[in-house]
Amino acid sequence: MTEVLSEQVGRGSHSGALLEVDNLHVEFRTRAGVAKAVNGVTYSVDAGETLAVLGESGSGKSVTAQTIMGILDMPPGKITGGEIRFRGVDLLKLPDDQRRKIRGEGVSMVFQDALSALNPVFPVGWQIAEMFRMHRGASRADAKKKAIELMDRVRIPAAKDRVNDFPHQFSGGMRQRIMIAMAIALDPEILIADEPTTALDVTVQAQIMGLLAELQRDSNMGLILITHDLGVVADVADKIAVMYGGRIVENAPVHDLYKNPAHPYSKGLLESIPRVDHKGQELYAIKGLPPNLLEMPTGCAFHPRCPYRRDNCVTDVPQLYTISGTRGSACHYWREVIDEGER
Amino acid sequence: MGRYAIRRLLQLVPVVLGTTFIINYMVWQLPGDPFAGRCGQRPCPDSYVTAMREQFGLDQPILVQYWNFLKNLFTGNLGTDFNGVSVATQLGDAWPITIRLALMAVLFEAIIGIGAGVLSGLKRGGFVDNVVTVATLILLSLPIFVTGYLLQWILGVQFGVIEPTVSDAAAVPELIVPALVLASLNMAFTARLTRTSIVENLRADYVRTAVAKGLSNRRVVGIHLLRNSLIPVLTFLGTEIGSLMSGAIITEGIFNIHGIGGLLWRAINGQDYTIVVPVATLLVLVYLLSNLLVDLLYGVLDPRIRYE
Repeated sequence: MTEVLSEQVGRGSHSGALLEVDNLHVEFRTRAGVAKAVNGVTYSVDAGETLAVLGESGSGKSVTAQTIMGILDMPPGKITGGEIRFRGVDLLKLPDDQRRKIRGEGVSMVFQDALSALNPVFPVGWQIAEMFRMHRGASRADAKKKAIELMDRVRIPAAKDRVNDFPHQFSGGMRQRIMIAMAIALDPEILIADEPTTALDVTVQAQIMGLLAELQRDSNMGLILITHDLGVVADVADKIAVMYGGRIVENAPVHDLYKNPAHPYSKGLLESIPRVDHKGQELYAIKGLPPNLLEMPTGCAFHPRCPYRRDNCVTDVPQLYTISGTRGSACHYWREVIDEGER
Repeated sequence: MGRYAIRRLLQLVPVVLGTTFIINYMVWQLPGDPFAGRCGQRPCPDSYVTAMREQFGLDQPILVQYWNFLKNLFTGNLGTDFNGVSVATQLGDAWPITIRLALMAVLFEAIIGIGAGVLSGLKRGGFVDNVVTVATLILLSLPIFVTGYLLQWILGVQFGVIEPTVSDAAAVPELIVPALVLASLNMAFTARLTRTSIVENLRADYVRTAVAKGLSNRRVVGIHLLRNSLIPVLTFLGTEIGSLMSGAIITEGIFNIHGIGGLLWRAINGQDYTIVVPVATLLVLVYLLSNLLVDLLYGVLDPRIRYE
């Protein structure tokens, strides 16, 4: 943390979690109309905690992350409401230069496709070293030394020899390690990983997830893991937020959700994981298509695809009902969903 | 890369041989006799024409002439033109002026073209963008001789800001307006190319990463975005150096600059192959070398390019 930040974002002077997204609304104004990408998302992450944000494409999970980072394309994006509090300070109200200092230092991000996310014309070591040179005023030589250390830390073999190589000279997994090294360079307090393993082979996925988990343990970071892959989440996450149509539909400690989902959509997601003991049977798929953000369904956004639908689902938007402690479900009939799971 | 460069250099040999032969052949094919009209109002006596043709070897077959040309070229003996003036001296006088003019033009293209392109690309649809779009449209639709005469007339004749024609010394300040005229088309094109490239790269993932790294706007644009966006632009500027040199003929004509453009122009009219062939050869060489340079530069600018 730089001094400026410590003053602005005072340690311990707030009661909530390290990072709190509070009732965030984001929409995209396009020629075709207004697409409501994020509709009142609320979640929080504390130091040392891993939150998995789960949802299909267009559920608003990446847009929320981009809004936290302040890298949303505006326009067409527009934040229409809510707060994002980091150490109790609303990032959305901070002036640009202070916001900029938080990126990389306080909150950092790993992107999905490292090949396009890394700059193709600069050596990887240079790109990592840039963090130290620009944020900490380190000399080129010092920064490079630290870059090599980081590449070692994310276990890139022969880091010293590869520091001057370019992104295209690495394999997909190694590139993602570089991306991670760059993101953790300044010991951020929050790391957002936006589908960090989607572009990778399955075996490499496990390695990268393992690496992220290990780094998080070592430095006590808060980790926001954005994914559409339930299989990736189970081992790593502490809690899960399932998003659908720009809303959080279920909030739960990870094991509770796996054991017994409280929202029809989470239930559908779990059931659509292929299982070895169901070999030969048809794979389960949630019927219907994700909602059109330009014309959201009335009432509960999931109602056109929901097997539990009743008449009031079409008219009433379900609030996030508290089930117990930190668990919540945005379904009018969550009791029914849970009960059925227990049978 | 070293092997690639050598291979490319070797490829130049047949290209140079081919182009110079074609140039020689075409000059040889020109109708009329270069010596027939050199005696004022009277036709030249046959004895003079024959003697001159013999002196310059025009009576020999084209292949022999070409062989002699190559021999002279490689021994550095360019001889004299039809008037008995040393060709090497004429080239030596004219060449630096044209190089100066062309370099200034490239500089204008790079600075003004890239600058305008970056500004309009960063604020797409803004005021600057609209001004640049209209300005480049005007420049692109005007032929160089219109721009040239127009500026000469407005700045040189109407307002007297510059001398309408350039002196023999062709000093740098005198060449500013001619260089702008020479650069105008490429400048407009450079601006458009830069704008497109910037707009395209602005949406690239690595730019988003640079922002997420907490870098200042200036660094995101000036280092990360620009370094990538300028690859096609620099390639374009490099390949156009050759055509700038030959394009100088018109500009040099308008502003009465004694560069190789003017030299070539007079020599073509006088069918003086002793000048036309070396100048054309030189232009071919500049063109080929600047292309080679660009191809090699491309590998430096974009590490993804590999030379196999």
